[in-house]
Amino acid sequence: MNARFTPSRQEDLSLITGKGHFTADHNYPGMLHAYVIRSMHAHAHIKHLNLEAVRAYPGVRWVVSADDLKALGAGTIVNPITAKGKGGEEQALALMPILAEGTVRFVGQPIAMVFADSALCAQDAAELAEIDYEVLETSVDPEQTTLPTAVQLHGNAPRNVSVHFASGDAEPVNAAFAKASFTSQLRVLSQRLMGVPMEPRAVVAIHDAASGITTVHTPHQGILGMRNFLALASGAKPESLRIDANDVGGSFGLRGGPYSEHAALVLAARHLGCAVSWVGSRSEIFLSDWHGRALILNGEIALDNEGHILAIRFKDRVDAGAYNCMMSTFIGTRNLSITMGGVYQIPALYMESEVVYTNTTPVSAYRGAGRPDIAYAIERLVDFAAHEHGFDPVALRRKNFIAESAFPYKTANGSTIDTCLSEKLLDRALALSHYATFEERRAQSLSQGKFRGIGLSTFLEASGAGTAPKDQAWGEFNVNGYLYVYGVTGPSGQGHSTSFASIIEKALGWPADRVRYEAGNANQKLLGNGTGGSRSLYGAGSAILAMCHQMLETIQPHAAKTLGVDLAQVRFENGVWLANGSTTTTAHIIDALTNEDKTTLHALGEATSGSTYPNGCHIAEVEIDPATGETHLIHYYAVDDLGQVISPQLVRGQVHGGVVQGWGQAFCEQVVYDSQGQLLTGSFMDYAMPRAGCVPHLTNETYEVRTQLNLLGSKGVGESGCTGSLPALANAVMSALRPYGINQMDMPFTAPKIWAALQKAKA
Amino acid sequence: MSHISLNINGNAHTLEVEDRALLADVLRNNLKLTGTHVGCDTSQCGCCTVLMDGDAVKSCTVLAVQANGAQITTIEGLAKGANLHPIQVAFSNCHALQCGFCTPGMIMATAGLLANNPKPTDAQIHEGLAGNLCRCTGYINIVESVKQAAKVMQEKQA
Amino acid sequence: MYAFHYQKAQSVEQASAALTRSDASRLLSGGMTLIPSLKHRLIQVDELIDITGLPGWRDIRVEGHQLWIGAGATHQSVSRHSEVRQFSRGLVELAGMIGDPQVRARGTLGGSVANNDPAADYPAAVLGLNATIKTQKREIAADDFFLGMFATALASDEVIEGLRFNKPLKSAYAKFRHAATGYAMAGVFVAQISKDQWRVAVTGATNCVCRWHEAEVAAGTVPKDLRFVHDSVLDDIHAPSAYRAHLVNMLYAQAVSRLA
Repeated sequence: MNARFTPSRQEDLSLITGKGHFTADHNYPGMLHAYVIRSMHAHAHIKHLNLEAVRAYPGVRWVVSADDLKALGAGTIVNPITAKGKGGEEQALALMPILAEGTVRFVGQPIAMVFADSALCAQDAAELAEIDYEVLETSVDPEQTTLPTAVQLHGNAPRNVSVHFASGDAEPVNAAFAKASFTSQLRVLSQRLMGVPMEPRAVVAIHDAASGITTVHTPHQGILGMRNFLALASGAKPESLRIDANDVGGSFGLRGGPYSEHAALVLAARHLGCAVSWVGSRSEIFLSDWHGRALILNGEIALDNEGHILAIRFKDRVDAGAYNCMMSTFIGTRNLSITMGGVYQIPALYMESEVVYTNTTPVSAYRGAGRPDIAYAIERLVDFAAHEHGFDPVALRRKNFIAESAFPYKTANGSTIDTCLSEKLLDRALALSHYATFEERRAQSLSQGKFRGIGLSTFLEASGAGTAPKDQAWGEFNVNGYLYVYGVTGPSGQGHSTSFASIIEKALGWPADRVRYEAGNANQKLLGNGTGGSRSLYGAGSAILAMCHQMLETIQPHAAKTLGVDLAQVRFENGVWLANGSTTTTAHIIDALTNEDKTTLHALGEATSGSTYPNGCHIAEVEIDPATGETHLIHYYAVDDLGQVISPQLVRGQVHGGVVQGWGQAFCEQVVYDSQGQLLTGSFMDYAMPRAGCVPHLTNETYEVRTQLNLLGSKGVGESGCTGSLPALANAVMSALRPYGINQMDMPFTAPKIWAALQKAKA
Repeated sequence: MSHISLNINGNAHTLEVEDRALLADVLRNNLKLTGTHVGCDTSQCGCCTVLMDGDAVKSCTVLAVQANGAQITTIEGLAKGANLHPIQVAFSNCHALQCGFCTPGMIMATAGLLANNPKPTDAQIHEGLAGNLCRCTGYINIVESVKQAAKVMQEKQA
Repeated sequence: MYAFHYQKAQSVEQASAALTRSDASRLLSGGMTLIPSLKHRLIQVDELIDITGLPGWRDIRVEGHQLWIGAGATHQSVSRHSEVRQFSRGLVELAGMIGDPQVRARGTLGGSVANNDPAADYPAAVLGLNATIKTQKREIAADDFFLGMFATALASDEVIEGLRFNKPLKSAYAKFRHAATGYAMAGVFVAQISKDQWRVAVTGATNCVCRWHEAEVAAGTVPKDLRFVHDSVLDDIHAPSAYRAHLVNMLYAQAVSRLA
């Protein structure tokens, strides 16, 4: 090791030296390789499927279609959340089969799988499949899919509607609009995106006949969640599945549950008695990873003559894609409603949303899962209304922030926000961004022929409530000098192990580099949540903190002994043990123990941590070159209240990542289908991604307001970057273009789109 | 099938490979050097970047047979024994990695950049990393780490 | 990709003979276009003939008023070559703008020119400088070489040995990068060939690199009403044709302002 090199995160050393263990790195002797045969049509009946030539190809060991897997117990792709309709109706559900059963409903839908000696052999053999399709009409546009002329995708869902949901109270909202001095209406599109974690989806499964356990290597977002959902999808018993805690190359919401390949590979590993591997190519992942966003949010705002917001109402259209998979219902119902008032004190709120089917890849959670989208819609609406009716956009916001004295604040549609000090964050962000002198900079840019704009967002979001009854953590000292901590929550790249070690160092006075955190150890029967909804730090972290408190109690007698005092005389304060003016450290105490005594020191910590409300104020300053329509982001400012910050460097990194993903949605990313449901953006050749330098300057600060909602006092940061950046960037672009008669534009704000809008406005 | 000789991280290897085998796959599967990652199939993500005769190249777009006789450095070969390369140290210090999947390719692209341009400006760093995608970090810390590595490497030269 | 037989050609004759032998044989240079096509199974090849080992293949040398660049010269080597910098500012800068660093380390002039991708950068320099493409059989003038989308005047057994460029008085290249691919959404190469002779080549905006005669007539000026007009300006999900045509106008002006 280099003299004095301590990695910033525990996770770093293996990753920077190429010693990581990602799924595709696993290579078992005799391992077979799978290839998926996918639909080329967006909507078709499969009249005839002939796989004989595939089976006969040299090197092919097994070929399966729907019936083969169902005979082995396969279920469907999981849809964990349902919602009741506006009038209490049950949701119409269309579950996706593991392999297509007679009808395909999106290009890329899995039809069959080939298992062979090598991946190339499986792919070569797959080309011999004969599929006789009866091509059907497609319905691709989420707004047109509910028209009487649109083809019906599922027999049980008239108008292609899965559920028509409502939240809030329509009557007071309608009354408010009736008496309002000012109203504004704005429809915004949060366009369909791809999540694009850099590690392509992959599964390696190996079955041990003696124990009856199938080990699965795959990128995931939570071992217990993946295991339980995979059990449902494959028909295997949950206790017969072991999800390996390997390195995960990003997740962003897409890896909470199994895909077809997971279920098929579990069954294949058992049937074939050997290890099996499937590694997706990026092109097939574009077709088959769940897509993200795909929301049309139609908002209206009612103001009194002084600019107080009287009511907000939304009519939303949620594109679920071809089937109900994983989180689309949750996004389109809970997540579009719980924070629909944003940071504002609004007496009346009402929303309706329709979750609809189209012949496209199913949509699920992508970083923020509806909350960045609704924050975007609200902040654009407030900004739009301000400009439409002559209010200063900052003053209008200030006037309507939830007053500090009003917390905990119960919103008009039932969410309780513990605290959100928008005014303080706004003031800090305005100062940081030199907002007050913006017009001077605008004039200077104009003298060079460029259009400068500044945009802000004051936002909050609700982090994940978790689905497990509680989070648990188990800690035990090991004879090799480490404190081993076991939990359920494992990372997909965020560096949780490092944060958890920091919590422990502070709470126990035990060095962070002598902590080893392990998620999903099979010998530990712990409860807990996966990573999702930005809750890992406060969820698992609170359980770990609770474990530390318990552990202090078990250490205390030894501390007393070390200091030569009675138990009652010793206490733990500021990281050390104190008694009568003497001090000692936890490390000193533990290191002096016999091995036998060391192993008696263990503790269980538990915590129940529900949603929290991370919030912030982000400001973006941009400069548009009217000659090309390109937008240059000059500087981005983020002031975030994330509650107690454990690892400032990791928090900054999360905000960077979230903001740049927001930049991607704002300026270049978009999934495009043609009218036949063919994916036109099927690779990085057509799906433009943010690259180095797109956000050259980002200043971020945190403003810590501890929450009482969990033991740790932290609020979660994973999705704040996206939530704040969509509205800040969009409002900045509008600020630059508004002087030229452009009041609204949908993302992505590509150069050609901005240029065309400016041309049109000139004419 | 072809018979090829490669020098990988200072070690000579002779291999029998299919003519269609990609250098990335030979590194990963034949030589078990799984630090080089495959992230896409249109040669745009850069996760597979290695040094080939001193240049950063995308190993997913090089046939193993094309690399016959070449000197290849992969992420596994960057450190000198237990001594990490300044680029590796800088990436960790600057928190320029989160999930780590793009990291080997990003580090090797940086090595290629700094070999040719030891004191790059921000714009030159952006250009130098134009062939590499990262979804986690937003690139901001990556750019910082390249600057830090450049500084350390310049000091070492002096 | 489908299986094929790879061989490294020892001579141009050997490479040409392999091309003659089979319809399903292809030359491999840098591989930056061919290998991705093979990976996607867009093409099937029986024989892949690697021509990067031929003697002198990567040579770059000035010969009087001409610059010879071997077909195997990488974009990187061209962009870093001091003599190329002296010879044509437009050419040296263009080479440094192709793709990304990893692509530039492998991609070659010959490969780019033979492929004639409508969004590639090199064809604009080749046409803009009126280069000569030398094959084992003949020399082809740039004006006669680029025939259409991915189509050139090369016969099926012809192998490009290199290109000979004529030294311009001044030149420049301006490009607008496609947000996803890094290719030219539009690229304009302007060259003053002699006192009264100008050439302007446009790539990326239409289905094949082409000369812009009205701009050539403008002789290094930017008339206010100069507009790029062409009957097949590309229109797709990334940009409408009006935008691409506008880019051409703008890039012409940019290139003119940077002539050196």
